Amino acid sequence: MNENNNLIKTTSGRSVSQWLFNPFRFVAGYKALLLGLGIMLISAFIGSLGNTHFDGVLDVHTGMEAPLWYFFAEGVIDWLSLAVPLFFFGLILSSSSLRMIDVFGTQALARWPYLITSIAMLPDANRRFGVYLMARFTTGNSLAVNFTDMVVFGFAIVISTIMAIWMVALMYRAYAVSCNIKGAKAIITFIVSIIGAEALSKSLILLLLQ
Amino acid sequence: MKLLPTICPACNSQLKAKSLICEQCQTEIQGEYELPILTRLSPENQLFILEFIKSSGSLKEMARLLRMSYPTVRNRLDEIIKRLKQAENTEENNGREKL
Repeated sequence: MNENNNLIKTTSGRSVSQWLFNPFRFVAGYKALLLGLGIMLISAFIGSLGNTHFDGVLDVHTGMEAPLWYFFAEGVIDWLSLAVPLFFFGLILSSSSLRMIDVFGTQALARWPYLITSIAMLPDANRRFGVYLMARFTTGNSLAVNFTDMVVFGFAIVISTIMAIWMVALMYRAYAVSCNIKGAKAIITFIVSIIGAEALSKSLILLLLQ
Repeated sequence: MKLLPTICPACNSQLKAKSLICEQCQTEIQGEYELPILTRLSPENQLFILEFIKSSGSLKEMARLLRMSYPTVRNRLDEIIKRLKQAENTEENNGREKL
């Protein structure tokens, strides 16, 4: 029995790259949902400390101060805006009997790289350099720039970009695994969903602000 | 143990069993026997099916045993079902061609 299981597991693969880019081979359902919601809550808390808003499925901006629930609500809106259309595409296109909990759970967990983004955006240097840039481009006023702030800001931008790419890769893998959709069908419906979700989440977050 | 070849290396057609032997008394039976459709799956997939049956067909139990997620196990089972259906279709087509 153990030998048999080992053979099946060996062929399934369990490498570091699998854990980094397709953890959904090993984690899905309620476990992924609880992990994802927990990470979303921590990201919201860290985001609230540095006023980092995830105000769109892929968006990261530093901005206004807000209560903790607002930061968490942004994360939940982002997650649901993408998970709902992907679930419907799955229902229409998949020949497998998919479970709602897998689609929503894996999409929640796929947002985990933004925890790292919220940490990278935490230093106050980001906000200061943001104010400098705003002044420079809107009013044309040339404030004195702090070199350290510029380096910290540059580092945060690089980290945020890498994390955004990683998150999109994870979202795609989550969709492919939880709905069992592959190839062009998966890529096209994922792109359509992410564009629609970006617009939907932006609108809902604006409504939340009002 | 040697793997049972199921496909002809020369023309890629489905192989059949021509001879069966009793290890105990060395009685040998000659004939033309179809190989069971499950033998056309890879050894890993055959083991997967075996474990699936032993788990009373529970995907949740399989996921726990293999330490894989539920959708991964379900996707693998769906892939095996697809291959079995293809094998069945090929067999049917070959039968029709012979007639």
